Amino acid sequence: MSAREEGHGMAMAERGTGKRRVGKSSKKGGKTKRNYKFKALPPSSAKVSVKDKKLFKKRARDYNSDEDDEASKQPEVTIREKIFTDANMGPNYDEIEEEQFSDRDENSDGEDHGEIHSGITRFAADGCSAFRTAFKAIMKKTKGDDTLGPVLSAHKHLIAEKLAEEEAEWKAKSQARKAKHLVAEKGHVKPASYLDSHEKILIGVATKGVLTQFPPSTPGITVVKLFNAVNKAQHAQKGLNPSRSKDAKVLKKRRKEAFFSELGKTSKGDSKAQTSSNPNGDEAPAWAPLCDNYMLANPKLKDWDRKQETSEGDDFAAMSGDESYED
Amino acid sequence: MGRFKSNKKGRVNVKPIVKKNQANVDHVTGDKIPKSFVFSRMKLPGPVRQLQMDLRKLMLPYTALSLKEKKRNTLRDFLNVSGPMGVTHFLMLAKTASALSLRVARTPQGPTLTFKIHQYSLASDIAQSQLRPRCPQDLFKSPPLIVLSGFGSQELHLKLATIMFQNIFPAIDINTVKLSTCQRLVLLNYNKDTKLIDFRHYSIRLQPVGVSRRIRKFVQNHQVPDLRNLQDVSDFVTKAGYGSESEGDEEAATVTLSSDLGRVNRSSTKSAVKLQEIGPRMTMQLVKVEEGLCSGGIIFSEYGKSC
Repeated sequence: MSAREEGHGMAMAERGTGKRRVGKSSKKGGKTKRNYKFKALPPSSAKVSVKDKKLFKKRARDYNSDEDDEASKQPEVTIREKIFTDANMGPNYDEIEEEQFSDRDENSDGEDHGEIHSGITRFAADGCSAFRTAFKAIMKKTKGDDTLGPVLSAHKHLIAEKLAEEEAEWKAKSQARKAKHLVAEKGHVKPASYLDSHEKILIGVATKGVLTQFPPSTPGITVVKLFNAVNKAQHAQKGLNPSRSKDAKVLKKRRKEAFFSELGKTSKGDSKAQTSSNPNGDEAPAWAPLCDNYMLANPKLKDWDRKQETSEGDDFAAMSGDESYED
Repeated sequence: MGRFKSNKKGRVNVKPIVKKNQANVDHVTGDKIPKSFVFSRMKLPGPVRQLQMDLRKLMLPYTALSLKEKKRNTLRDFLNVSGPMGVTHFLMLAKTASALSLRVARTPQGPTLTFKIHQYSLASDIAQSQLRPRCPQDLFKSPPLIVLSGFGSQELHLKLATIMFQNIFPAIDINTVKLSTCQRLVLLNYNKDTKLIDFRHYSIRLQPVGVSRRIRKFVQNHQVPDLRNLQDVSDFVTKAGYGSESEGDEEAATVTLSSDLGRVNRSSTKSAVKLQEIGPRMTMQLVKVEEGLCSGGIIFSEYGKSC
């Protein structure tokens, strides 16, 4: 801790004790401490213990010499060094400088001039060998062959060139990215926030258009018609239990009537056919006879073999046979 | 041994499509339920990957929502998986530098329709464009209805496309279907002049007719209405708000319900069918029809190379 710091800390302590003074028994102790510090301060800054001196010497040696072996080679330097360090490298170098500037001057005057000379010579000879070697190394250096030489300011045009090159590269990259993005976004259209005429027409078509999950033999069913027809058909079957065979028959008849009356057509001959007549998609569970309610769903299977033949012949026929409506 | 190894390598990483107890066959009608895979065999750019995800959501519930493809998966791998899983349709997206294409194929033997997608908008784009995007919880729990319009039945390839899209979703049995499951609608509109197909996906909503907007909102929202500006409580009911903008159109689109559908749509009241778009939206063109699954003879080609 430096003297100034100590003093500052003391002042703080003083203030602190001053605050705490009221009704405190430890105020005496605080005072003694302060006094002690005042006493102790001058010797600590002036004198350095032998142990510390050794330590400082060693540090100074390490600092000055480049290599360890160099220091060991020249033991006689240590004497000079000792004085050198004594003069300048005290533990509280700054304090000494501040407080006892005149004293130090006197001291240095009192010592031999030769000592100081030797210190300077030493500085020139081996004290800063590292600095010397570094300086020499720099001076020896020739201009490098790399694009940006050792001294940047000497290659302004090179830097400019490199920057321009980077910029061009970046531009090309960004353009490529843009092109890729354009390709990715091709055909992607953000819709308008309002309903334009085309969309309105399409909604009209969708509302009044023909549902196609029914065979082409049945007339067109629009969404509206579907809702109405479903209502009629399901209204008819209220109060009847479809699991009873007698009710089932009645249900079937009623359903058919209701359905066709809703669609505005008389019922034609039964257009039933087995749905899974498509030869392509005959998996075991898809086969209707494996179904639990197979016979309940369509009790009459008259012309199953005929249908099979026709469907096998042509691909389109197979397709149309597949979607034929089943009651 | 070697064959076994390669087989293992090429396996498609797929989570069970649907719940295991869900059979391939509709338990009411005995019809086979069509199922689908939506995938692509290349690395897609971001928006197209999103489109693929939207298509998977559209194909719900009978599709593999989290189907994972790898680079080394060939079409055969998907085909091998599709058999035991009962998958009947493949939807394959492909992106080249020039065009984006969608192939719709029937497994295992084709045919394959190749569509070129001219324009598309994602579901998120459409939701962003709307003031109040609608997505009820059980929207994707039932298959959509499908409407095909303008296809006609003269041209063979159009007829084939009609049949293909008809069978991509399960058939409706009018006697057993629940109206609450009819929540979505897929529209394919063929334009004869431009030869383009508009692909749209809507949600179906029923709204009671003949009830003022205030009352409807009051019933729907469960909130205490603001009566500060009214002289009497009866004003709330009698005072006419601004009328609905499409009151005229609704007459054609009204239905009478036999059973209650939600809180608002009671039985024996009239309801209007309203459609609101939920993405994705596509404009595509049928360019090629192949006999087999992505192979075989070309039945139709837009650019007239064969026939």
